Amino acid sequence: MDFAWTPEQQRFRAELRAFLAEHLPPNWEELADGPASELQSQFANGFCGKLAAAGLLVPHWPARWGGRDADPWTAFILAEEMWMAGEPRGGQYMNVNWIGPTLMRFGSPEQQQRYIPPMAQGHTIWCQGFSEPEAGSDLASLRTRAEPDGDHYRISGQKIWTSYAGYADTCFLLARTSPGKNGISIFLVPMDTPGITVRQIPSVIGEGDIHEVFFDAVCVPATAMLGGEGQAWDIVRAALSLERVGIPRFALASRALQRAVKRLQQLGRFGNGAIEQAARAQAACEAARLYSYAIIDQRAHGIIAGPEASAARYATVNAERAVGEFVVEHLPEALAGGDALLQAHHQRAIVAGIASGAAEIQLNLIATELLKLPREPR
Amino acid sequence: MDFTLTADQSALCDAIDRLAQRFDAKPIDFHGFALASAELDRELEEGSYFDIAQIPELGPLSAAMAVERLARCAHASETALSMLVRPQLPGEFARALALVENGRPGRFVAQARTLILIDGEELAIAEPAPEQLEAVHSIYAYPMGRVKGELKRNRLSAADAASIRSWLRVALAAEASGLIQAAIDSTVEHISVRKQFGRPLGSFQALRHRMAECQVLAGGLRWLMLKAAWSGDAGDAALAASHAQDSGTRIVYDLHQMLGAMGMTLEHPLHLWTYRLKALFSELGGRGGQASAVAQHCFAAA
Ligand SMILES: Cc1cc2nc3c(=O)[nH]c(=O)nc-3n(C[C@H](O)[C@H](O)[C@H](O)COP(=O)(O)OP(=O)(O)OC[C@H]3O[C@@H](n4cnc5c(N)ncnc54)[C@H](O)[C@@H]3O)c2cc1C
Repeated sequence: MDFAWTPEQQRFRAELRAFLAEHLPPNWEELADGPASELQSQFANGFCGKLAAAGLLVPHWPARWGGRDADPWTAFILAEEMWMAGEPRGGQYMNVNWIGPTLMRFGSPEQQQRYIPPMAQGHTIWCQGFSEPEAGSDLASLRTRAEPDGDHYRISGQKIWTSYAGYADTCFLLARTSPGKNGISIFLVPMDTPGITVRQIPSVIGEGDIHEVFFDAVCVPATAMLGGEGQAWDIVRAALSLERVGIPRFALASRALQRAVKRLQQLGRFGNGAIEQAARAQAACEAARLYSYAIIDQRAHGIIAGPEASAARYATVNAERAVGEFVVEHLPEALAGGDALLQAHHQRAIVAGIASGAAEIQLNLIATELLKLPREPR
Repeated sequence: MDFTLTADQSALCDAIDRLAQRFDAKPIDFHGFALASAELDRELEEGSYFDIAQIPELGPLSAAMAVERLARCAHASETALSMLVRPQLPGEFARALALVENGRPGRFVAQARTLILIDGEELAIAEPAPEQLEAVHSIYAYPMGRVKGELKRNRLSAADAASIRSWLRVALAAEASGLIQAAIDSTVEHISVRKQFGRPLGSFQALRHRMAECQVLAGGLRWLMLKAAWSGDAGDAALAASHAQDSGTRIVYDLHQMLGAMGMTLEHPLHLWTYRLKALFSELGGRGGQASAVAQHCFAAA
């Protein structure tokens, strides 16, 4: 067991920091307020193109798709540095983390040729059309229908909470092709297909983050289906195992905490109450970091993470909460025009226990699969 | 970064586990608090396990793993200070070791041949004669003892004192990690079997979630503790000890709540782990003390 970074990993982190220092504009922190805003989405397109040109967008992808077959640690160091910097890749982080790899594994050759190169070049935004008004945690109850129509499908229904939909080129969409959990299929749907309407939902997270997406008899060719009919559940499970510890939230939480403490020290307000709460928050951030590293370590050894990934997620939720509460209590002015980065962190932190599988769902998984407690009766 | 155990670490963990298994269970006829085992102590001596940290292939990280595993036993043994702190002391000192903070009773004090004395900011070492020590009856589930009269103190240099404080924190976190995990395991077992309202208690979501939260905290502590033992860094040690006292306090309450009246009995072993944990919560200044250390080592002064 070894907690040290290799010289190569240290070089890679330094390279990323140098890249960020060179390519983030001086007013980046103000820009980063609103992770899916029009400004940031535009910025992300240019920025991801530059990352790609420098070989830093998808280093962990196979060489065939523009990467260099780097290991999961490289991918995670990349994710840490980007998230800590305020995620200048915008929604494209999803392409890098799981949409690209999922297409490589399950896509047809045509789908791969069409969709993967633009992701590797950093010029395309995807959105994830899973949740519906009546299907949140209980995703399998989703009702959006895809009905065969010759060699096409007609899709009707509504998605909600869809991040990045406002500027997305393509939707990774779940729709029902028959009843039950095994009746859900995945469609790769260009967002300019007639019949799609996107409506932004104003939110506490920031401008442009979440949306409703309506599908009104949207016609897509049968070749738009990813994998076979009814395969969505298995594919999504594999894809989301990458996403559960996909965002290294502890990295920005920890940076926000350090910044808030420094400010309080400068103001002479880092007294005993604040010190105790800050220590607790810092321990929570580091626990989440090490927990997440343990999952990446499993990945690096070719092990698919089990319920420990849910524990890592929950530890991250604890960390986000501790830092968020610390700032509100001890440096309230940060959220009143005082510090754009702390405000942006606060706006995103609240999401930690909701998006990509709510915290309570993680607790259910931990109870059943890690602790082996008896299941709840259904 | 590679969390796989080395061959040496695996071999050590297997050996410790085999030994510990014999001391895992509470004897059926034991209905007390301070359950300790001289036999376990002797076997650890004979196997040279107290010197793990000094073996280059093993080091303090492996010693922390051993402390953690042994702390899960129902039978307590003075391992944490011997395995993790003694190698850092300036000179050779006999075990058992014990900590005396501001004159208060402490774990294993009556058995100790070396005492680490903390008085405010000062750290000193003493080698007491047996008649200078006495056992005290306590509900803390460790053999507790105190010092009688004056001791000859050997004051540590500021640098040594800082390093020893740090390793005391690692030792506390390693011990707490094992105690917490054993307490969780024993509670999980109980609520998986005990039925009320026609169902195992562990199938009620209110308890499932609470238990899962305890497990997340315990897992986080284990990683923080291992990292601190690996790095020897004062900040890492402070974070691990802070998390140990903070989450331990909450977990102890939750586990007793989940066991109901059974957790009040001396027949069920839960109190052996939880009341030992209670002895740890005030050590090294308690949560406030750990927080000051975190502030000192993890938040650079502006
Ligand atoms: C910022 C943000 C971005 C998002 N982006 C996307 C996106 O791009 N694409 C997409 O498809 N979705 C997205 N989501 C939706 C997200 O996946 C859902 O919010 C999530 O799955 C939870 O569903 P819900 O919000 O409907 O909550 P609900 O399912 O209504 O849950 C509400 C509360 O009840 C709890 N709960 C639910 N079921 C149980 C149970 N069985 N036991 C105990 N407690 C339970 C939950 O844990 C939660 O605390 C996003 C959400 C947010 C907040």
